[in-house]
Amino acid sequence: MATRILVVEDNPLNLKLVRDVLEFRGFEVATAATGEEGVTMALSDPPHLVLMDLQLPGIDGHEALQRIRADRRCDGVPVVAVTAFAMSTDIDRASAAGFDGYIAKPIDIRNLPAQLAVYLDGHGDV
Amino acid sequence: MTPDERDTKGNALLGDRDVAEQFAAADAVLAALGRSSSDPGAVLTTVAESARLLCRSQGVQVLLLNGDEFELVAAVGLTAEFVQHVARHPIRRDRETMAGRVALDREIQQVADVLNDPGYGRRDVQQIAGYRSLISAPLILDDEVVGAISLWRNQVEPFDERTTEQLRVFAAQAAAVVRNVHLVRALETRRLELARKLEQLEALSEVGETVSSTLVLDDVLFTIILNAVRFADCDGGSIMEYVEKDRVFLARTTYPESPQLLTGLRHLRIAVDETLVGRAAIEGRPIGLPDIAEVERDVHLQLLFEDGWRSVLAVPVLRDGQIIGVMVVRRKTVGDFSDEVKEFMQTFASQSALAVFNARLFQELERKSGELQVASQHKTDFLASMSHELRTPLNAVIGFSEVLLERMFGDLNDRQDEYLHDILSSGRHLLELLNEILDLSKVEAGQMELELSAFSIRASIEQALALVRERAALHGIVLAVEIDPAIDVIESDELRFKQVVVNLLSNAVKFTPDHGRVTVRASNPDHRLAVSVTDTGIGIPPEDRERIFESFQQGRRGAPREEGTGLGLTLCRRIVNLMGGTMWLDTEVGAGSTFGFTVPMRGTVKPSSIAGGTSAPVVVVIDDDRASLDLVGAYLDGHGVRVVRANDGKKGLDAIRRLQPAAVVLDIRLPGIDGWEVLEELRSDPRTEMLPVIIVSILDERPRGLAAGAADYLVKPLARDDLLKALRRTGVLPATGGGGPV
Repeated sequence: MATRILVVEDNPLNLKLVRDVLEFRGFEVATAATGEEGVTMALSDPPHLVLMDLQLPGIDGHEALQRIRADRRCDGVPVVAVTAFAMSTDIDRASAAGFDGYIAKPIDIRNLPAQLAVYLDGHGDV
Repeated sequence: MTPDERDTKGNALLGDRDVAEQFAAADAVLAALGRSSSDPGAVLTTVAESARLLCRSQGVQVLLLNGDEFELVAAVGLTAEFVQHVARHPIRRDRETMAGRVALDREIQQVADVLNDPGYGRRDVQQIAGYRSLISAPLILDDEVVGAISLWRNQVEPFDERTTEQLRVFAAQAAAVVRNVHLVRALETRRLELARKLEQLEALSEVGETVSSTLVLDDVLFTIILNAVRFADCDGGSIMEYVEKDRVFLARTTYPESPQLLTGLRHLRIAVDETLVGRAAIEGRPIGLPDIAEVERDVHLQLLFEDGWRSVLAVPVLRDGQIIGVMVVRRKTVGDFSDEVKEFMQTFASQSALAVFNARLFQELERKSGELQVASQHKTDFLASMSHELRTPLNAVIGFSEVLLERMFGDLNDRQDEYLHDILSSGRHLLELLNEILDLSKVEAGQMELELSAFSIRASIEQALALVRERAALHGIVLAVEIDPAIDVIESDELRFKQVVVNLLSNAVKFTPDHGRVTVRASNPDHRLAVSVTDTGIGIPPEDRERIFESFQQGRRGAPREEGTGLGLTLCRRIVNLMGGTMWLDTEVGAGSTFGFTVPMRGTVKPSSIAGGTSAPVVVVIDDDRASLDLVGAYLDGHGVRVVRANDGKKGLDAIRRLQPAAVVLDIRLPGIDGWEVLEELRSDPRTEMLPVIIVSILDERPRGLAAGAADYLVKPLARDDLLKALRRTGVLPATGGGGPV
């Protein structure tokens, strides 16, 4: 069974980019354009990893993370933050908020699969 | 003719006896002069006495002119009734009297029998004194008639020439006395003036001090009115500020402080057109009211009247013809304000206007800089959000270009490959520009904060080199590194440090011709770190050496291999300055350039102390998230503990058994054995049974944690104070009142 990744991203072009790249690399990709949608999808059908944009309309990435973490159905699912704010304070904030990892925009499409593999292997769920 | 010449002439006409008498008289006068120059009446009386004796007269009077009237200043042989009568009905400078006539004609004149003189007009005086023969001499001082001396006899016996000459001498003496009196008076006036000026200066200097020491307008105004009231010998005062757009005056301050009166004044609409205050301002002169009760009262005066004030003086405060306000001083008593007070108030007001003006300028300045700060904040916020908005589409531009270049979805022909590379490099360039604009705006807004940490200089430089290695290799450029082996660790902002080095390196590669050489050097002279990047480019002409540090100026360094942002060096210099260092350039046209910077090592940390001394208590932190480990490390930095990290449960347990730490900070979600298992393991081992374990987890399962034997349970995101408190409770950190050093 292919590794399933849920991508939560509000910008349709960026969403398409990440989806296409990941699909090309053989991942199964589910997409959500808002935080709420992302939470619903994550809980109803837990993926192997969630790639979460931090700036989202409605509830933001942090809030979405809290909701996912509050539910046992997603126990052990790594959630990786994606944001354009490449400042180290943002990185600290993201890790302090409990994200498993952090990927800076713009996404390096060549390295993305390798970056995600760290979290996937580490949790041994694949 | 001078008085001296007259003396000589007079003396020549006198006989020996007369000369002796004359000398005796002169001696008496001179002695009197020496005795008391401050009592001219006494001296003039001596003159009159001498004249009466010498000129065989029954009465002598010395009169001084005051305007067109004479004032009797000395008299001999006259009754009190006479003195009183003359005081009440003064002799005037006219032809009715001998004194009047000589004052007009400037010549000695006599009348043999006043009763036969039809022009004589003061029969009233004659009847009291009963004189018949009269002689009078003018007192001339500096060519001006200042008075007269008159002698009379009670019988008809005209004065001979000798007596006339004697009188001339006495007149000269009296004039000398008057001169003396004038001098003394002038001196006294001057002294008073000086004393007043001194007082003014003192009052003004107090205001001046207030103005320079505090620019708070109300403080300045209060000091001004305090001094005004004090100097004008008043009981109170206030300062009204003119509000030009409403054409009214607003009370700013009162002295003595009376909140009640001030409130009352503030509720008034003191119009410029119809009030005493307004009139003073418009006419530009002080206007005094000796008795408020006597006049028709405007709102302002009515309020003062009801507050118990009786007299008031309004002084305009003007600057360059503009009404700034009005200063008002008041008394509880009825009475006029002297010219002197008015004059001083005016001087004072004009000086104070300057003070008020300055204070207003200062307030304006403060307001403006406040606005500027807000504007600057807006700019930074705008740039931050704009940069995010621009970054999102750029993400797609760069990403899709890369997808195609990776041939993920099919092959490309050469032209397509070339254009995609162009799109990609333009996108990356734009992104770089955005980042630098954002950074620069942060520096300029004072919002760029350095995040200090101890890091390896060599590792940092190697990482920076890695970023340009590919590009350098492409052009056959050799990258050389010369780092002083003694250099190890610096305490600075690693990210920013690397940013500067990368910038200098990529510039050097950009401007070095193919097969050139770029050398990066690091040394630490004078306990500072000096890093330089040398290229073998064409160098920079002298006129461009400062310019290239300015925004969007690239200078003439030859054609760059690729486009730069024009912000890199500006940003580098700002960052280096922020780090407390300086940037420098050494270049020679044709030979190349060296860009360098020197930054403080700050608290240069030795490797041994980074690891912690053997005596420091050990805290083992077990977390699979690198950032969380860093965070705990940062929180505990400077608290005298040695932090040992482990990124999974097994390594954590190994470290604990090996190091016997003072406490453990434990994450629950761990790869392999999780936090619960780690805790269980520790509790079942007698060696670690009592070891305090602080759980730090994303999930709030506090009761379970405490039941399992955790000393404390903290929920992520982890706050520094919570961690420190928990460690204090376990006794690892000393129990201090506040937070420890950062």
